[in-house]
Amino acid sequence: MDADNVIETHGARKVFRDFWRRPVVEAVKGLDLTVRRGEVYGLLGPNGSGKSTTIKMLLGLLRPTSGTLCVFGAPPSDTQAKSRIGYLPEVSHLHPFLTPRETLMYYASLFGLGREDARRRTEELLKMVDLDHAADRAVGRFSKGMARRVGLAQALVNAPELLILDEPTSGLDPIGCREVKDLVRLLAKDGVSVLMTSHLLADVEDVCDRVAIMDRGELRAEGRIGELLRQPDAVRFLVAGLDEQAVAALRGTIESRVGHPVQQDYPSMSLEAYFLQVVASDGRLRAFEVAPFLKRQENAGAETRHA
Amino acid sequence: MLRRMKESLRRMGGVALLATRGAVRAKVVAALLALLAVCVVALPGAVKGDGTPDGDLRILLSYTLGFSFGILCLATLWSACALFAAEIDSSRIQLSVVKPVRPFEFWVGKWLALLAFNAVLLAMVYVTVYAQLQWHLRRNGWTAADCLVSRRVARPLLPSPRESALQQYENLRAQNALPKNLTRREVLRTLEEKEDERYDGINPGESASWRFHLPRPLGNADSVTVRVRFDTEFSTREKVKGVFRLAVPGRTDAAVVVPLEDFTQNEIEFVVDARAFAAAVSADGLRDFELAFHHGGDPKSTAALMLRSRQDVVLLTPGGSFVANLARAALIQGSVLALLAAFGLTLSACFSVPVAAFVATVLLVLTVVANSVVGTISAEDEKQWQNKMGIAVSRTVHWASDHAMRVSPLESVTCGERIEGGVLGECVLWNMVLMPAVFTLLGCAVLRRRELAEGE
Repeated sequence: MDADNVIETHGARKVFRDFWRRPVVEAVKGLDLTVRRGEVYGLLGPNGSGKSTTIKMLLGLLRPTSGTLCVFGAPPSDTQAKSRIGYLPEVSHLHPFLTPRETLMYYASLFGLGREDARRRTEELLKMVDLDHAADRAVGRFSKGMARRVGLAQALVNAPELLILDEPTSGLDPIGCREVKDLVRLLAKDGVSVLMTSHLLADVEDVCDRVAIMDRGELRAEGRIGELLRQPDAVRFLVAGLDEQAVAALRGTIESRVGHPVQQDYPSMSLEAYFLQVVASDGRLRAFEVAPFLKRQENAGAETRHA
Repeated sequence: MLRRMKESLRRMGGVALLATRGAVRAKVVAALLALLAVCVVALPGAVKGDGTPDGDLRILLSYTLGFSFGILCLATLWSACALFAAEIDSSRIQLSVVKPVRPFEFWVGKWLALLAFNAVLLAMVYVTVYAQLQWHLRRNGWTAADCLVSRRVARPLLPSPRESALQQYENLRAQNALPKNLTRREVLRTLEEKEDERYDGINPGESASWRFHLPRPLGNADSVTVRVRFDTEFSTREKVKGVFRLAVPGRTDAAVVVPLEDFTQNEIEFVVDARAFAAAVSADGLRDFELAFHHGGDPKSTAALMLRSRQDVVLLTPGGSFVANLARAALIQGSVLALLAAFGLTLSACFSVPVAAFVATVLLVLTVVANSVVGTISAEDEKQWQNKMGIAVSRTVHWASDHAMRVSPLESVTCGERIEGGVLGECVLWNMVLMPAVFTLLGCAVLRRRELAEGE
């Protein structure tokens, strides 16, 4: 395995069987996938395409029928590899009787963190996901969005090197979506690798470096977003401040050059950007701050200075 | 290494704390406390004793501790059955198993939570019952030294069940009365199983005697209690006349004779002061005794005295305090609960909640039934092929439960019999170390092999 790859799968196949061991469905068919260190990788596909099955195989929750899967060069069941992974499932599956603070302390204990360290990380994460005001209320009474924030926080409690996010923006309002996307970008900038699935193609487009499209268990396309979406024989100019006359003149020049009519449009901002602009006016869109213990580069710098 | 151990302990502690919080917040503990309060506080007010100090206290102890233990057994078993299964069924386990936790740490964490729970609840029950005992004593003006006793038990020196079975086998062979179609091994096993429950009959005009060797010499100020439980021949239910004679073997000057007159309890218990044998004290101290019974009834009558020599005839000598004995009984019960917790957890790793609870309950009932089934298996039963599976299961369950409860702690405490350290150690080793280790291996193997998620 290449040391620069955090995830590698070769011919991964998963066949689900019924009680009598008869094959029911082949959910993943010979998948070859590579996720590199520090990149945000998007796994796209319609329902039943095998995205979640792939993720569950990578986490050791399901065993592949054949093929190999490696995470940090080790099989998914390896505890050393697991200690470097953070996982947010599509449905948060939190214990409803625990408060967010207890939830984070519990998951911190599963990483073997000491009490003080766990407490510090818990408080920083609660602040980061904006749940410090509801830290002592039972999670079972939370809205889906709030539970999602707790789920996200638990995925980060070990300061993971690989973050696996299954539909991370599901159930979140546009502000929450924006924050998650900002967080993903900030973490990636800090060297964290991210593997995420989403039905919301705009989300993937916003944050992913590379994407793979799966359908019926097979990989149909893979590559950098820019490369996949580029139309090599078309060019777009974005110019501000031209009057109608200048636009007509430019258009005439280009048409006479290429010999056929050109398309002309007036770009608009995305609905998400407009929405955020509107709600930002009352100050609800806060400047997103990553929990201090997650800032790997700063922490590394501090450790070097101490040394 | 040390760091890894610390981390492992933290993980187990985290899992245990989660299980504890779940039980407290799901109000399982509150419901359990309410039920135990009914058993320990309300039940003694509803049952009536026989008016004697022994009878009253025996009823109080056996009802309160017996019912509480029964409730705790069921609660432990069913809670354990739900611990893994509910998390797997609700997919909550997925978030935990993707963390660097080994199945062993999960298993032990949950088991420790159940252990801690049971320890606290059992301690509460025993302390409350002891407080009630003291209150009863004070109210009735009874003295604790007479009523709350702990005595060492000496049983007759008899051949081992295996030796007895061999002897009976030889007798049957000599009489040409061995059952057909059964191997020697099968006949010996049946005879050995029945040995403990075998009744000996003492006919009118006949005598029987039993030799004893006390585990410790009897002190001058001590006393020895003789206790014999018996029955008369089942068909006639006639009363028996006779005398018991306790003596130092080979000495005619050191003996006490007590007539058998009272049949209300089908039990005779008499106390003999050690000073009665002062003339016979050897260098080894006063340790060897012989108890004899002579049936003084009409030789023409059929009224035999029936008793099981291995169980019904005992000498009791002072041995420790009642409180220490009560604590030993609590420890044995606690160890049984630990075993049930381990068993339930393993079922929980294998099946869904309802299936695990059903299997656990069936096996619990089988455990209760197996002891009596094994005692009634006849040579004829063994011959029939349709019985073979049932007999094999009953024998296995009986064997396992026999190891789990080498002694009945409640019976020992209520009869004032000291639970010996060796027996206690065997129970604790079997229930809290060996069997949980086997169940841990099984449960962890299942957790490692089982897929804990489903496809899309």
